[in-house]
Amino acid sequence: MKKYAPIIVVLFLLAIASYFLLFKDTIEPKKKTTFSFEEFNKNRSCASLPKFLLESGLRTSIIDLSQQKYKGIAFYTRNYQNVLHKKSWERFDALGTYTIDKFGNLYLTPNPFISIKPSTFNLQKAIYKMDSTTGKLTRWLVIDSISPSATNPYGFISIVYDCDDDTLYASAIDKSGYKGIKGRIYHINPKDKNYTIVVKNFDALTINILKTKNKKYLLAGSAIDNSLYAFEFKNGKLNPKPHLLFTLPNPKLHIRKVKIIAKNSLQIEAIKFSYSLIAETNKKQRYIFIATFNPTTKKWEIKEKN
Amino acid sequence: MTKEIKISIALLIIGLGAIGGGYLYKKSLKKVDEIKVSLEDRDDKKIILPELSDEPADIDEVKEYMKVLSATYKKGKSVLPLDDSELDSKGKIAQDVALKNKQFLSDTKTPDGKLLHNDIMRVVPAIESMLTKKSKKECAGHDCYVVEKYNFATNATTRAIVNVDTKRVLQVSRYANMQPDISNRLTRIAKAIALKSPQIIKELGYAPSPNELSMANVRTNLKESPCEDKHHLCVAPTFADHQKARALWAIVDLTDLRLAAAKWAGLGKTYTPACIDERSLQNKYIMENFCQKDNNLSRDGWELTYHLTGSDGLEIRDLKYNGNIVAKSLKIVDWHVAYKGLGADKLGDTNSTMIDGRRVEFVKGENNEYTFGYNDAMGCPMFSTSVVLAFNGPQIKPIIEGGKEIGFYILQDFRNPKWPMACNYRYQNKFEFYKDGSFRVVAINLGRGCSNKAIYRPVMRLDIDLDGNKEQFANYDNGVWKDWQIEGKYQSTSTEPLYKDSYLYKIYSATNSKEGFYIEPNRGQFGDNSRGDHERVFVTRFHKNEGDEDLLTLGSCCKLDKDGVEQYLNDEVIEAQNIVIWYVPKMQNDDRAGHEYCWADSGIDENGNPIVKLYPCIAGPKFVPISKVDK
Repeated sequence: MKKYAPIIVVLFLLAIASYFLLFKDTIEPKKKTTFSFEEFNKNRSCASLPKFLLESGLRTSIIDLSQQKYKGIAFYTRNYQNVLHKKSWERFDALGTYTIDKFGNLYLTPNPFISIKPSTFNLQKAIYKMDSTTGKLTRWLVIDSISPSATNPYGFISIVYDCDDDTLYASAIDKSGYKGIKGRIYHINPKDKNYTIVVKNFDALTINILKTKNKKYLLAGSAIDNSLYAFEFKNGKLNPKPHLLFTLPNPKLHIRKVKIIAKNSLQIEAIKFSYSLIAETNKKQRYIFIATFNPTTKKWEIKEKN
Repeated sequence: MTKEIKISIALLIIGLGAIGGGYLYKKSLKKVDEIKVSLEDRDDKKIILPELSDEPADIDEVKEYMKVLSATYKKGKSVLPLDDSELDSKGKIAQDVALKNKQFLSDTKTPDGKLLHNDIMRVVPAIESMLTKKSKKECAGHDCYVVEKYNFATNATTRAIVNVDTKRVLQVSRYANMQPDISNRLTRIAKAIALKSPQIIKELGYAPSPNELSMANVRTNLKESPCEDKHHLCVAPTFADHQKARALWAIVDLTDLRLAAAKWAGLGKTYTPACIDERSLQNKYIMENFCQKDNNLSRDGWELTYHLTGSDGLEIRDLKYNGNIVAKSLKIVDWHVAYKGLGADKLGDTNSTMIDGRRVEFVKGENNEYTFGYNDAMGCPMFSTSVVLAFNGPQIKPIIEGGKEIGFYILQDFRNPKWPMACNYRYQNKFEFYKDGSFRVVAINLGRGCSNKAIYRPVMRLDIDLDGNKEQFANYDNGVWKDWQIEGKYQSTSTEPLYKDSYLYKIYSATNSKEGFYIEPNRGQFGDNSRGDHERVFVTRFHKNEGDEDLLTLGSCCKLDKDGVEQYLNDEVIEAQNIVIWYVPKMQNDDRAGHEYCWADSGIDENGNPIVKLYPCIAGPKFVPISKVDK
């Protein structure tokens, strides 16, 4: 029997190696991490009205990025009777989304619109800033690695300001194609313009920050499907794993704007989006939904707003 | 070393090898699992699109239905009531009452009296949730019925609540852009279209029987139709193949009475009818078959590769005739669309303004005139820099002349989703290949644009390849062929004398003048009601970055004296070089009754259904082999 000991030892060692290398995670599946969402409420934003608007008499204003009447950006009074628009605000062509910081500075993302000009791709690589005091619009941050192309003309597409630490999150969807998604979410420090990529391989058509009772999330409307996802902040850092919150009933719609409108209630603006050029931005092209979260059942109810 | 130790070592080596191999295999499986999300639905099966056609399905059920409709119109009525077989005795009364109610029928005619196609879809006892407070009161103790009709021309549903006992209409509601459950009559027709469609029979491999088909997608509520972009009434009968756990979904357009699209899909929960609609299927089909891959074709002596581009329409590449290379690339890279306006002094000093509710680029001219408009790129429906998107795949059909097949053509349709509404466009790229070695590149405009003063300029990039790229270009000038030495342009007057009454330009081999093509500009002689090309021609030396790959929008829409190609004119020598011809026709639209050109109009046909009247404008030169002309 003793002479067979080396064979037995080898077989034993091979069995242990097989167990750890081949079967362990099959026999003991990784514990599933469950995602549990909590009730939330509308928080007061830290954003303040740009000072130049106050000086020009527009105490309450509507920001118009529709590109229908004015290129770039325009500000209207609530009743649409007065408008403020400067020719210099047209120099970076069409703009798509904005966020405002606590000083009243606007940060804006670009948008390719109707047709491509020689400058269009270059314009998509930048975030634009409108100074709170002067109202001057500048090319604030350029990331050259953002590369729009003939098969995907988009670059930066959405931006949001985080009032907790005065930083910005911006999403870019360039490089994505029919066979693969390569979008990123950048975390940007406005003080020194340093940035890091905090989410990879996710195309966020819109982003916004939402706080529940105990947690904080970056919400992201997907450019690739009709769903809203949440990225959780853990110890102030964004966890890059997306959690599905809900899916809109129409598979052709993509969430372009998320607004917290009341307790457990989101207003969703959705558009048809296929990574080709958008020719119209009027209200008829947008579909509005109200998404209500039930904290007891942990389910969402989605209703189209007529 | 004992025998046992030798066995142990051998076991250890084999065992470690096997475990290592197993580990790598497992890792590779994980990689497959971790592939990032993409728009390609990996479980998706084949998509089938019928040939582009405006004709209803050629089957008895459809013909019978159209006969009944026609008979109804002859009586001056346009609402097709339900058959008695679909009604109970009270339902019959409810339908009669509703069909005499002015409010219920108020959308069945146009303001000028044209009848609009309406079908009664169902007549059933009314349920509480349909009733207003007042109606609820009146229906208590009475029989109330709901009568629903669908207006095919306006895509609207009208619902009447009828008190059968008092024979009174209690309420009428109209729902714009909504479709109701369909009648048994239309269910039968939809099934017949699906069952008898040649594409479905080909796909299944046999003629299916009615009991193989289910109608899971009969509309169950007033929600969007699968054909929502067209505002048509559509349903999706399904053929289930339980053995293979898949189903063939057929989308039947009941407004056009034909098959719109079909798709194989799994039987799982993922494949809800909501995911199946004509436009999405088209987009996936086009992306996967024509944008993501090249297609090869051999026919009538011609060999070619074709694909759809991101912004340069349908491109023909590596064209050969009888084994000889003819062209490296043929494509239409852009449409410049310019409109003329008066009142330039009011436009300020920006370069854009609002026209008909849209912000457009403009260029000021003389006499207070200005031009405004768009640069329209045509291309793939997703992941492209186009707004006029590929609709259906390329259609390949024979060219018949005098009953004889003389060649074939490839045609690709591009549309704004809302065409033919104002400021929406439809273009076609057509490449004709003849058995005698001639070919023609054709740009077609099907309107409708923003106004009646539009000038359309398709920019054709024609990279002819002759004699190892030693090419020569010449134009016919007062009876003499003049060779071009350097890059340049030529504006045709459309009245120049033509060589042998047909040809104004030629491209030929620098080493063999008999090899090459005469170029026949379109002066309206091709029998397609064209009003001519009025072309401007550019010849440039080939550079890869000058349009060999996808070319983004080129130049200005609205500078009528420039086509955008000027930027490539650098006085480079083109004699005996690899050259590219840019051919830019100019067409003006016309909306005068009886003279329409580059125009489209929505209307109502004799059956009360919506139709689009097309008035295409067509441009493009024909290339004829020199050896065929100078025999």
